[in-house]
Amino acid sequence: MESNLKSPPKLTRRNYSKIIRPIFGLLVFGSILWRLYEVLIAQQAYSAEIWVRLLISGLIIGGVYALIAIGYTLVYGILFMINFAHGEIMMIGTFAGYFLFEATKSINVAAEGSPPLSFSDAYPLISVILAFLVGMTVAATAGFFLEKIAYRPLRKAPRLVPLISAIGASFFLQNAAQLLFSPQVRDYTNPQAIARGSGWSLIINGSRVVITYTGALTFILSILLMIGLYVMVQKTKLGKAMRAVASDKNTAALMGIDVDAIISRTFIISGALAGAAGVMWGLHNGLVHFFVGFLPGIKAFTAAVLGGIGNIPGAMLGGMFLGLIESLGPTALGISYQLKDVIAFVIMIVILIFRPSGILGEVLSEEKV
Amino acid sequence: MKVSRFFIFAIIFVMILGACAPTSPEVEEPAIDAPAVEEPVGADTDALCANDDYGCAVIAPGQTIKIGMGSPMTGGNAAFGIDAEQAGLIAVADADDLYGFQFELIAEDDGGTPEGGAAVANKFAADQTLVGVAGHLFSGATFAALPIYEEIGIPMLSPSATNPDLTRQGSRVFNRVPFTDEAQGAAAAEYMYDVLGFRKVAFLHDGQDYGKGLAEIAAATFESLGGEVVELMGITPGEADYSPVLSTIAAKSPDALYFGGYTQEGVVLTNNMKTSGMEDVVFFGCDGTFGVDYLSRTGANGEGTYHATPRTPPETPKKDAFDAAYIDRWGQAPGELSPFTWNSYDCTTALIEKVREVAVLGGDGSLYIPRGALVDAVRGLANWQGISGTYTCAPVGDCNIEGPTFWIVENGEFVAVN
Amino acid sequence: MNKEIIRSSSQKGLLFGIVMIFLVLINFHLMASTMISKLMGTNVLRGSLPEARFFIIFLVLYAIWVGWSAASREGKTIHKLFEGLFAGLIAGLTVALFGLLLFYMLETQTDIRKYLTALSFPSMRFFLLDMGELGILVHFGLFTLLGLLGSALAVGLRSQKVAHFKQGVKTAITNLRLRITNALPESVNKYGKYGIYLLLLVILFLLPTRWGSYYNFVFGMVGLYVILGIGLNIMLGLSGQFMIGIAALFAMGAYSVALLNSPIPHGLMWGFWPSLAVGVVMAVIGGLLLGLPIMRLRGDYLGIVTLGFGEIIRILLNSDLLTDITGGPRGVQNIQQPTFLGTPFNDVMYAYLIIVAMAVSIFLYYRLENSRTGRAWLSIKEDALVAQATGIDVQKYKLLALCVGAAFAGLAGGIFAARNQFTGPNDHTLMVSINVLSVVIVGGLNSIPGIILGSFALRGLPELLRELETYRLLVFGALLVFMMLVRPDGLWPASRPDLEEKGSPGLKEDIEPAEEGRSND
Repeated sequence: MESNLKSPPKLTRRNYSKIIRPIFGLLVFGSILWRLYEVLIAQQAYSAEIWVRLLISGLIIGGVYALIAIGYTLVYGILFMINFAHGEIMMIGTFAGYFLFEATKSINVAAEGSPPLSFSDAYPLISVILAFLVGMTVAATAGFFLEKIAYRPLRKAPRLVPLISAIGASFFLQNAAQLLFSPQVRDYTNPQAIARGSGWSLIINGSRVVITYTGALTFILSILLMIGLYVMVQKTKLGKAMRAVASDKNTAALMGIDVDAIISRTFIISGALAGAAGVMWGLHNGLVHFFVGFLPGIKAFTAAVLGGIGNIPGAMLGGMFLGLIESLGPTALGISYQLKDVIAFVIMIVILIFRPSGILGEVLSEEKV
Repeated sequence: MKVSRFFIFAIIFVMILGACAPTSPEVEEPAIDAPAVEEPVGADTDALCANDDYGCAVIAPGQTIKIGMGSPMTGGNAAFGIDAEQAGLIAVADADDLYGFQFELIAEDDGGTPEGGAAVANKFAADQTLVGVAGHLFSGATFAALPIYEEIGIPMLSPSATNPDLTRQGSRVFNRVPFTDEAQGAAAAEYMYDVLGFRKVAFLHDGQDYGKGLAEIAAATFESLGGEVVELMGITPGEADYSPVLSTIAAKSPDALYFGGYTQEGVVLTNNMKTSGMEDVVFFGCDGTFGVDYLSRTGANGEGTYHATPRTPPETPKKDAFDAAYIDRWGQAPGELSPFTWNSYDCTTALIEKVREVAVLGGDGSLYIPRGALVDAVRGLANWQGISGTYTCAPVGDCNIEGPTFWIVENGEFVAVN
Repeated sequence: MNKEIIRSSSQKGLLFGIVMIFLVLINFHLMASTMISKLMGTNVLRGSLPEARFFIIFLVLYAIWVGWSAASREGKTIHKLFEGLFAGLIAGLTVALFGLLLFYMLETQTDIRKYLTALSFPSMRFFLLDMGELGILVHFGLFTLLGLLGSALAVGLRSQKVAHFKQGVKTAITNLRLRITNALPESVNKYGKYGIYLLLLVILFLLPTRWGSYYNFVFGMVGLYVILGIGLNIMLGLSGQFMIGIAALFAMGAYSVALLNSPIPHGLMWGFWPSLAVGVVMAVIGGLLLGLPIMRLRGDYLGIVTLGFGEIIRILLNSDLLTDITGGPRGVQNIQQPTFLGTPFNDVMYAYLIIVAMAVSIFLYYRLENSRTGRAWLSIKEDALVAQATGIDVQKYKLLALCVGAAFAGLAGGIFAARNQFTGPNDHTLMVSINVLSVVIVGGLNSIPGIILGSFALRGLPELLRELETYRLLVFGALLVFMMLVRPDGLWPASRPDLEEKGSPGLKEDIEPAEEGRSND
């Protein structure tokens, strides 16, 4: 039944988008280019170290967005549903990491008589690894139960129904966290070795640019996790099964794949990634509170769509891209940082107008969209 | 089958409507009619209520005297509302009974939105025994709630709604204890220019009405003094990383960064300044960033930063007692959730005291609270000693018009500098 | 077999035990006891503890529920009873262990409220029923015994006889209804519909004057969401365009009325009615501007773009850039009130206005749905290619749907702003869009009664849940999930079979039969 008609028959009298799209695109790209010229060439307002700083923070936040976006994309690729509660899963991971650091902080490992030394300061590597393990495990568990309770019974319902269920679950988890842990904003207690703000210094144009340890950790770990996931999806049996289920559930079931189990595992994997992102968020930004998942959740969802939802490299690209736009965009265009989300959304809309299934999205057949 | 479908629909509809209707508490008799109720009331209460502009709130034996509070208790700003409620509950617990009538705090969630504010105000207005509102916390919600209270005569005393327009409307019922933005912003700019000698300052705000008003007034004053405003910009509130903004501002090499907003963003800004090329720039906050939470979360980064308070929070025994009670009851330090803990306590307490002043015990054992007299009494607050300062309400409803106190963080503690 | 019983019932017991622990960790046991206390006529002041006996009532009900749900539907009676007992035992054990922990913490005066904010000493003591270690035993005993009782109740009430009785009652009601319908003369059946309309009209006319300003306000909110829901349904339900940014169109209506009727910032005093018209027009223009460039997008891509549009409008309204025009974060105050025969609107008049607007919207919706345009929309939704092949100008009709939907949103926004006398950026957040989307899906796509019910459920319910204080959104979220699980097609599904594509194409065959069964009209 799949009709791969890339261009529908032109029976319309007028094709509005044919006229509007180029005009719209020209306007937006023209103004962007003009602003870029103003800021970069005409005014030369900022020197190199500023751009390096912006680039660094963009890459770090982009890595976090990408990890969360992969969670959206994995679930979407298989179930065609937007897991609106994904940001809350990340929040749960952040809290789990927070509690682990608090626990390791409270254990004193100093010898008798010497000044107190907490476990997390004495063994920073072990406690960070532990925090990631705990954060990922807890978030993965939360993802598993979320799917089991709120989505599985709706497997056969119309597509928007699980979305509403997800919104409800998101409300529930957010408020549960508020009631459990109070709405207070808390600080992550990083091990001394990777205290926030400390890092390697680069000297550019005579001024210091800091690459923080936490930032480097966030960026490198997120890249590693993404590569790991990509390899897993492409090479392992589970990955193959996931791809099979994503392309056709019924056929996959006929091939002896346990569809329910694969979906469960997908939620576990996406939860684990969100948990890792949450712990990174905590380590790098230091904040944890019940609302911490909301904004990154929306942003990462945007990133996933930008890259082409359902497409794993697309989510990575989209996340990085969004992070960089947010960080570089306002400065490069000489616009107030208050409007950075506007810039991000406008660029996203323009990209989607010209590539309606995202940057890397496959050109979907009419049926599937 | 068409008919039956409509039939069922109609029945359900009517049932829903019907289910709601009887539960509405005594709303058919507005407060003005209260004296008309045929009851053996004392002659004095009769005359009192008849002469009052808004009539009396009549509290029958067994009922409580209710003080309302409207604040965001869910969603991203929940910390403000929860904190205000916790402080208010302690205020109510501290209050003695009045002629055997207990005080009760009814804190409702308005989400900080105008829509929520109007909903809460309507609910409060429908309650005969609710006589005053310690709130609302957010200006938007306050704006939408104000006309409703104005109509029925419920005095408001807000701990944190700072929008200058609120007291410019000539409202009879609205009062507040926080600063106006004018007073603080101008004083901060003068302090930075005259005392600290800054000539180039960047002004940031959180894009919400409190911070924006503050930063704009401070920037305007600073410019008129001869200083250079290198940047006046809003940021998106609630984010966890502001280093891009700060990196951009660093290129303009200001002496100081003035920030109008709350602790959460203030802490992130202070911490990010150290990695964004602004190590030597002074962070100058406002009363929204003052609090123990700021100290604990910025640590060494917070050293040498400036903040403001409405006036020296007096270290009175009353304040110490409140702090102890708050920690004991809620397990958190006051000021940890929001900077308005003490203000919220004061607002609730002041309202309770004013109710005490005007309430009259009727011959029938009910308590009569003339609403108009209460509204005037709250406006007439003079030299009232709270735990966050001494308050005297101006005729427009601003109860705190004196200049601020500035604080510098030294060795992990706030030290007053003027 | 027995192993299976033990496994499932211990799982149930553990689940219920953990839920109970969760409830205690968020202090919900206090809230529940307070509610029970209020229901039984004993008022509890805010911030104070209810009496312990009300908590026991809550525990009893909860424990019976454990047994009830643990007892399986089929099988031997003795097995069911055992299941209830065993589940109760496990739940009791879990809760008792937790109680022991709390007791230990009480004894050692361990205060962990820094991490778990609800675990205060009074709350712990209350959980132990003010009895100390004895409370742990009471918990254990209650759960075990009442688990058994619950399963016994389940055995009794789920028995064949009861089922027969239920069936009998159902049949009797159906028969009675049929008999009444048959007994009535044809004309009554034919015009009965109008009679019901008339009745509704009278009720709607009388209610606003009778039930006070608070319920007028809540009712008005519900009414405005009905209008918004109808607007969204035209986009989503009729023409199949996934829209999450309706708050932007709502904001256009609201800000038009606000800015044209307020002394600050522009001092224009156009009056309510002309500016309401402007608001509707502005919203339509907004819909057009949004729709023109994105006609090629579909599905979730359309959703995210409209979400972005909503956020862009909100941020712009709030931004420094447009402060001079929109009032920025301070919003627009003192919006002039509409007048009717010289008197300004009060809450009753607003209720009438909203009723009229709602009625007009519903009427227009029905006319549209059954018109040529409505058919065109539906066919586009089902299959755009086929629709195009049959000569429908897909882009034109999609744009039209966006514009018509936007008009409804603008209307709701205009009334909303005037009624609150104030509007600001916080009124037009993403949550508004999500709420409207939920209204339509929870109620039932393409079903007006569904949208009305959905608005009651989503806007009325949170107001009625105010008694639950800070727990209201928690409960609301859980109810939202629950409603979707129980009624995935909406509270009042449309009579027309829903032709929206389900999940992946492969699953379609599985759904059709169920769909047919439901649409029995």
